[in-house]
Amino acid sequence: MAFNVLIVDDSSSMRAVIKKIIKVSGFNVGCFLEAGDGEEALKVLEDEWVDLVLSDINMPNMNGMELISRMSENEMLRSIPVVMVTTEASDEKVTKSKKLGAVGYIKKPFLPEDIKITLSSIMGEEINDERDNDDEYETGDF
Amino acid sequence: MRETMTMNMKQAISNVLELMFFLPVQFVENECPVREWLPRSQVYTGATLGFSGPVSGSYYLLIPVAMAKEITANFLGLSEEEVNEAQESDTVKEALNMIGGHMLSLVDKPDGYQLGIPEIISEAGFDMNADTGKKENVIYIEAEGNHLAAGIILN
Repeated sequence: MAFNVLIVDDSSSMRAVIKKIIKVSGFNVGCFLEAGDGEEALKVLEDEWVDLVLSDINMPNMNGMELISRMSENEMLRSIPVVMVTTEASDEKVTKSKKLGAVGYIKKPFLPEDIKITLSSIMGEEINDERDNDDEYETGDF
Repeated sequence: MRETMTMNMKQAISNVLELMFFLPVQFVENECPVREWLPRSQVYTGATLGFSGPVSGSYYLLIPVAMAKEITANFLGLSEEEVNEAQESDTVKEALNMIGGHMLSLVDKPDGYQLGIPEIISEAGFDMNADTGKKENVIYIEAEGNHLAAGIILN
């Protein structure tokens, strides 16, 4: 089953790189959606079907932590798995994002394999189970 | 503190530029003003990134425009001819963002720090710390025969 991925980062270069890595990793992606900050991401999430979100934390207007917080408050959005892809990898940020519902954490700078391994772990369970196991995915980063 | 800061910054620069941008770097011991380290024969671009916390200040990265184009092409998997100025600026900002974030992850208590949003600075801004009396830690970098500079300015 193809799935739709939303990449949220204020750097268009970083969005392009993540997109390319996912493409060459052979995942069955239906479409890639992009947003430059949390506000834009919420608009995309209102309008489009999204199966997976990869989000930076440090962004203008609405950062990644606020985004997952807003998603967790929304019944329709809280089951969408979110992976943080960020330079900010302190224990506090990792723990907080996990509490808010993030299922993975990829620290920049990263290797393409870091994204591939994390997404394989999440997609293997989540996408194939048609979004019914909210609490059961795990990644090496947590 | 100064030595630790310098060591962390060098580690962050190496990790980011070599891992993400395939740019091997060497660090050069120097004491000269940044402006003298950067040859006048080359056009430079740069980015700055503020941070706040127990200690506040900003990071900066200065890089020749030609090299910014090269690392952008490497980063995006494009040819240099395909890279535009907006992509170059975005990549330089993202490189500094990763260096700054990596730096903060190396300090004793990273949770108390908050990164700002990176901004491009013009060549006129390269002398940003001149005569301000602020403490500055400069890292002199050589990469593929080019001179780069990075640094931390403490408020």
